Amino acid sequence: MLRKLNLVFEELFIFIALLLLVMFFGVMAENFFTAGTLTAILTQLPALTVVTIGMTLVLISGGIDLSVGSVVALSAGVIGIAFTVFELPLIIAAALGIVAGGCAGLVNGVLGSYFRLPVFIVTLGMLEAGRGLAYMVTDSQTVYIGASIQSLSLPISGIGLSPSFLVSLGLVVLAQYALTRTVFGRYLIAIGTNEQAAKISGIRTEPYLTWVLVISGLLAGLGGLMNAAYLGASDPNAALGLELSAIAAAVIGGTSLMGGRGSIVGAFIGVLIISVLQNGLAQLGVSEPVKRVITGLVIILAVLLDRWRSR
Amino acid sequence: MTTMKNVLSAAILLLLAACGSEDTTNSSTVDGGDATRPRVALVMKSLANEFFVNMANGAEAHQAANSDQYELLVNGIRNESDLAQQVSLVDQMISSGVQAIVIAPADSKALVPALARAVAAGIVVINIDNRLEPEVLAEYELRIPFIGPSNREGAKLVGDYALQDLDSGSEVAILEGIPSAFNSIQRRTGFEDAVAQAGMKVVTLQSGDWDQTKAAQLTSAILSQFPELDVILAANDNMALGAASAVGLAALDHKVTIAGFDNITAIHPLIESGAVVATVDQFGDQLAIFGIEYALEVVANGTVLQDRETPLELITAASLQAN
Repeated sequence: MLRKLNLVFEELFIFIALLLLVMFFGVMAENFFTAGTLTAILTQLPALTVVTIGMTLVLISGGIDLSVGSVVALSAGVIGIAFTVFELPLIIAAALGIVAGGCAGLVNGVLGSYFRLPVFIVTLGMLEAGRGLAYMVTDSQTVYIGASIQSLSLPISGIGLSPSFLVSLGLVVLAQYALTRTVFGRYLIAIGTNEQAAKISGIRTEPYLTWVLVISGLLAGLGGLMNAAYLGASDPNAALGLELSAIAAAVIGGTSLMGGRGSIVGAFIGVLIISVLQNGLAQLGVSEPVKRVITGLVIILAVLLDRWRSR
Repeated sequence: MTTMKNVLSAAILLLLAACGSEDTTNSSTVDGGDATRPRVALVMKSLANEFFVNMANGAEAHQAANSDQYELLVNGIRNESDLAQQVSLVDQMISSGVQAIVIAPADSKALVPALARAVAAGIVVINIDNRLEPEVLAEYELRIPFIGPSNREGAKLVGDYALQDLDSGSEVAILEGIPSAFNSIQRRTGFEDAVAQAGMKVVTLQSGDWDQTKAAQLTSAILSQFPELDVILAANDNMALGAASAVGLAALDHKVTIAGFDNITAIHPLIESGAVVATVDQFGDQLAIFGIEYALEVVANGTVLQDRETPLELITAASLQAN
């Protein structure tokens, strides 16, 4: 009971940071408190959200997945080509993209756990290879897909939320449940806290460490679908550096880079902070250098706030 | 079993390392062979970018058709801002003894010292794509001709077309590329020229880093801030695509006129549907060829070095239909 209270409190803190940020932009930018702004933010964040869920799980297990940005581009490319060149039904094209992401994750996972290669290096390799494959698949060209795929990003009439957003929200809930209420989640935390101790107490760590990277790959594949839906096109240069945004969102949300500690809900609030920041700064129209400085400062401040709380 | 694993891991690491190093130079020789023909080195920016891929493909096709005239070495760098790598490529080309270097510099200043070494070694150097800074060239007392289109004029051309039928009180947003890039500055200036001439107002100027997703996110934010926005001028087609998808998602009650630059294939459906009104073709696949032809001319006859402007064409729904 005490532990549960503590968790709520943890996320409350970062939630307050989000509210402060929203209030700041509300005062500074004249049209920030509008339905348009809210829609804009909710439409653009599903891809980062699902990728961040995967990243958070991997970080909790004590690993890292640097390949997610490239895998997003690869999946988007596979979807675009499958749909426009091979003229497969959208649902099959989408499935192929997600499976491509899962395969990348499987390679990461097997090399990282069964072959004992450092996950940092394996996923760094996949960051390179995945981006290369994305260029190969698309022939380095942006593939125009059109309105059929964009319906995933368009608000459903009556609810005002897009299918992409609803799916990502559902996955946040599901992943938080899996992390806190299932054996899989408990073992991930145990392995992330101390892998050696987890082994001694009888957990076979390899399957868990493989699965968590497969999940991250599948989610990055889904992120590719969401990115393509958002753009109505597959961009082989999409999601450059997305891995860093996902890591930032996870850490802002209280996930430890050392493993063993983290929260999916917190990471989602981290994603909201990053999206609100991007949107608010664009509305203020500040110059590019200033944008970058402010983004950096907010990330650092958010983590500082988190550390201060945990004392 | 453990040895097996070790061997396999070593093999994979080696493979990764090999991929890494191959990627970084990205080199291909088209037709090696006899020494009587001049050897021309084409030094490109990122060969992962559609624009430069087309440029390189155009050059290779040209060489294949004129293989009795010259030999071609195509090299690209890994990412567009990796200056150090491009400098070392130039040095490698100098030591490999080519007669001419045709270069799309990753930076308009930083490449000059390396190119000065090439000129000192008696190599003909031709500048394409991104113009070298005249002041820096003057500092090194170099004359390196620039063969290419005027990005500023191209942007003015497409800007004029996009703005021509609009009310003079229209609100315009400009999406520029990476703010420090010469092309981006030229295109932005061309857009600003067109807006000023039409007597309109730029309500916001922001950088979409040439990136589609980033441009889409920026556009949704801009539309919340300026709900009456009429025009978006994007410094490349990828950003125009991003802007168009954001405008589509925003479901506005008025039309937003969008224009792009580069004429990539993916923009055509949007021009046909009217979501984007126009773009500019600077014949990217021909740019390297113009440079190579000029280099061969200089090698053969020692022509006086002069800048040359290459053609630009406005692409609209009408011109797409005509083809």
